[in-house]
Amino acid sequence: MPQPVLRLHSIVKRFCTVTAVDRVDLTIERGEFFALLGPSGSGKTTLLRIIAGLELPDLGTVEISGRNVTHLPPYARHIGMVFQNFLLFPHKTAAENIVFPLRMQRLPRAARDERLAWAMKLMRLQGLEDRYPNEMSGGQQQRVALARGLISRPALLLLDEPLANLDRELRSEMEVEIRRYQKELEIPFVYVTHNQEEALTMSDRIAVMRNGGFEQVGAKTEIYTNPATVFVAGFVGHANRFEARLVEFNGELARIEWKGTSMLVPRPRDATPGAAIQFAIKYEDLEVARGVNGFDPTNRNWLTGRLRDVIFKGQTANYIVVLEDGTDIVVSGDPHGLDLKPADSVVVHWPITRGNCFEL
Amino acid sequence: MSGLEERRRWLSIARRPGVRFAFLVAPGALFILIALVLPLLSIVVFSFWRTQSYELYADWNLNNYRALLGEPAYRIFFLRSLFTAAIVSFVSLAIAWPVAYLIAKHGGRYRLLLVLLLAAPFFTGVILRITALQGLFGPIGVINMALNMFGMGPIGVLMYTQFAAGIGLVYLYVPFMITAIYLSLVNFNFELLEVAKINGAHPWRAFIEITWPLNWIGTVIGLVLVFIPCLASAVTQRFLGGPQATSFGMSLSLQFGETGTWALGSAMGVFLFLASLIVILAAGRSINLKRSGFTGALDR
Amino acid sequence: MSLRAERRIDLAAFSSGILLIVLYIFLYAPIFYVIYTSFAADIVWPFPPSFSTSSYEDLFASSLYAKALSNSLILGLGTAVLSTVLATGGAIGLLRYRNHWRGTAFFLFLAPLFVADLLIGISTLAFNSRVLGLPGNIYSAIAANAIPGTSFAFLIILSQVVRYDWAMDEAAMVFGAGPFRCFAEITLPTIWPSVLGAFLISFILAFNNLEISFYNLGAIPTLPSVAWGSLRFGLGPELFALAALVNFAVFIIFAVMYLLMRYQIVSFGYRGR
Repeated sequence: MPQPVLRLHSIVKRFCTVTAVDRVDLTIERGEFFALLGPSGSGKTTLLRIIAGLELPDLGTVEISGRNVTHLPPYARHIGMVFQNFLLFPHKTAAENIVFPLRMQRLPRAARDERLAWAMKLMRLQGLEDRYPNEMSGGQQQRVALARGLISRPALLLLDEPLANLDRELRSEMEVEIRRYQKELEIPFVYVTHNQEEALTMSDRIAVMRNGGFEQVGAKTEIYTNPATVFVAGFVGHANRFEARLVEFNGELARIEWKGTSMLVPRPRDATPGAAIQFAIKYEDLEVARGVNGFDPTNRNWLTGRLRDVIFKGQTANYIVVLEDGTDIVVSGDPHGLDLKPADSVVVHWPITRGNCFEL
Repeated sequence: MSGLEERRRWLSIARRPGVRFAFLVAPGALFILIALVLPLLSIVVFSFWRTQSYELYADWNLNNYRALLGEPAYRIFFLRSLFTAAIVSFVSLAIAWPVAYLIAKHGGRYRLLLVLLLAAPFFTGVILRITALQGLFGPIGVINMALNMFGMGPIGVLMYTQFAAGIGLVYLYVPFMITAIYLSLVNFNFELLEVAKINGAHPWRAFIEITWPLNWIGTVIGLVLVFIPCLASAVTQRFLGGPQATSFGMSLSLQFGETGTWALGSAMGVFLFLASLIVILAAGRSINLKRSGFTGALDR
Repeated sequence: MSLRAERRIDLAAFSSGILLIVLYIFLYAPIFYVIYTSFAADIVWPFPPSFSTSSYEDLFASSLYAKALSNSLILGLGTAVLSTVLATGGAIGLLRYRNHWRGTAFFLFLAPLFVADLLIGISTLAFNSRVLGLPGNIYSAIAANAIPGTSFAFLIILSQVVRYDWAMDEAAMVFGAGPFRCFAEITLPTIWPSVLGAFLISFILAFNNLEISFYNLGAIPTLPSVAWGSLRFGLGPELFALAALVNFAVFIIFAVMYLLMRYQIVSFGYRGR
């Protein structure tokens, strides 16, 4: 079995009193698209910079392709990197920017030209060879930055929120393109972002970071459907959250009590009856019906309320429902569905097996 | 036109960017045009005239230039000044770059103070500073006296030589070079060096490929700021240089001082100006705006 | 290779630091010499050390030096004000507005840097006396000094205005500020460190200017010309005392600046990059 491309052992990094990275272990295989997802201050950029060699960890080791590179400077690590504000060399043309890593490696002219042609073709940059960065659009600059990162066929490509400075439509296009490049070239990408939609679109595996540590690492579907902690449940995907009390266990499920209503939910790990728990259910797991007669109540939970607003989002619509006690719930569903108007009485229902429950 | 209409018309004129530009830029530009260019033109004119008994006569002739180009003394003075200016410029460059880099990159919030500290000695005045240099380096100055105490002879070259004048010039002008490079580095994005490092550039390579070209304009300005005054310097050589160190500038000031030969002095001034102009044109040609990283400020 | 590379970089920073310190010592050694000599009994040969304040007594008694000091101050202030105003307008105008006069104006503002003080001095002298028929006076000296002064001020202010975000001005306009108000409330408070720097530099250059002022002032005494004069007839001890006092004042100002920086009371434009 081929060795992993990147291996981090117990990385610790402290800045004065702040622990930016707290004992992180990570293994990334060849061909993987790996996302480091987290809010700002979670340590994800610091971790990326440690992998790049721009920061020295206080403890732990970094191995790239089996070599211990922990103390090696960046130019000895054979990696590529793409930055949020592109950071193209302003005094060099697009072609010169892209070919820079090969010049540093002292590749002979013929080989350089060949690779340059390949990179420019890959990134659809033909014709822009002699443009300077300030003569190109944001999207073009980002593609030049990508070409520069990939031209030396590095062991690893690091991306630090590269799409943050692009407008939304361009971003969606680039998300798909970047994933395409990664799959074609089979170079592992380590992608840092705070945008969960990006992470879910592009990556194979995701590590959700908070306060310097991994809250959860796993395949993206796993992270989405089975969040391990309250934080992950709240950060990935959009969910409604209920603070309730655990009453009793019921096989694989548990009965909880929320503001007088009893619900059956998937059982939380390691909780005891009587404990305070949080129940999170994603918008799209809920449904709206006109009345209690509008659906089959077998193995479902339901709550009654009044429709407050419908927010049309194109492919879906968010139905904002106000429950009797005043709480807002958001249901994501088909915009052409039931003929509902604000102020209508509605019932929100969902299968008892959906959602996640965590001890608080 | 009623008052209101007139006010509106005036406002709409005042809003035009061309008018605003003129309002802001014209005073300074015109001032320099008149105060600098006109006098320079006048000495060009005078260089073709003749002085007699401390008076200028409009006797158009080329005698001054003949004297300048013909007599070996002037040639020697000029070449000496040229050589000194070149050496002093490059020595200042070598000193200024590391210092400016250190202040810009690691100076933190004390950056301004560190740069102003370089300027503070100017308050003491050129004459006193040069006299002090004499006192420190001279044959009976501090250094030589200290050496004497240890039984070592005085270092002759430190005073009343061209070398001493060179040190004096570096002393006077290195702060200008440092400031010019510092002002450039302060606008330099050091993150680009990280990018270069990741792409395989060793520190020295990164400096040559990234830092140096992107700060070339600052370096050129610094070189010009040092070279031009050094070419014309007179006071430093007068006090620190020996009899062998007469500079072109010294000879020039003589023409406007004791000997009162303004015509010849004007010719020398024109010559000096032309030499400076050639240096500047060469410097200007070396600057390729696209290659300097000026990404936007002048593109608005 | 790795550790060596890291050490190499640290070595570079370290040796730059040494160079910086040596440079400051080199720059200030003569200053200390001057201060030391001001307290010496014999200013020509102040060794072995013998303390005396006679230089200071002479200074305060002399009316020539008082006159020279006030003239130098007037010259410095006048030049600084003129240079700073012209340069600020120039820097802002050139960077804010596009115009086909831009290149010419830019060249004009930088042109004085390429003309040596000596040349400016003699050419303005020749022009004033022969063409305009005017004798030198303090105003012509201020104007002549403002030529390089404006250039230096321009460079300094330019280096900060290049980073100025013009969108702020547009925001101010939307909220009702006219151009003068905008300058006073938005632009100036942002660029004030460079304006101050420009003012100081042009002041210093004019205060101590020898070549330009010498040819333009004739008999009017300024500190540098008095120094020059006394050199020919023997260096006056008052000079040393005056220089020591000036340096003391500058030291106080710098100490205050340092404290302001240290306790982050005033940031002087540093934004923590």
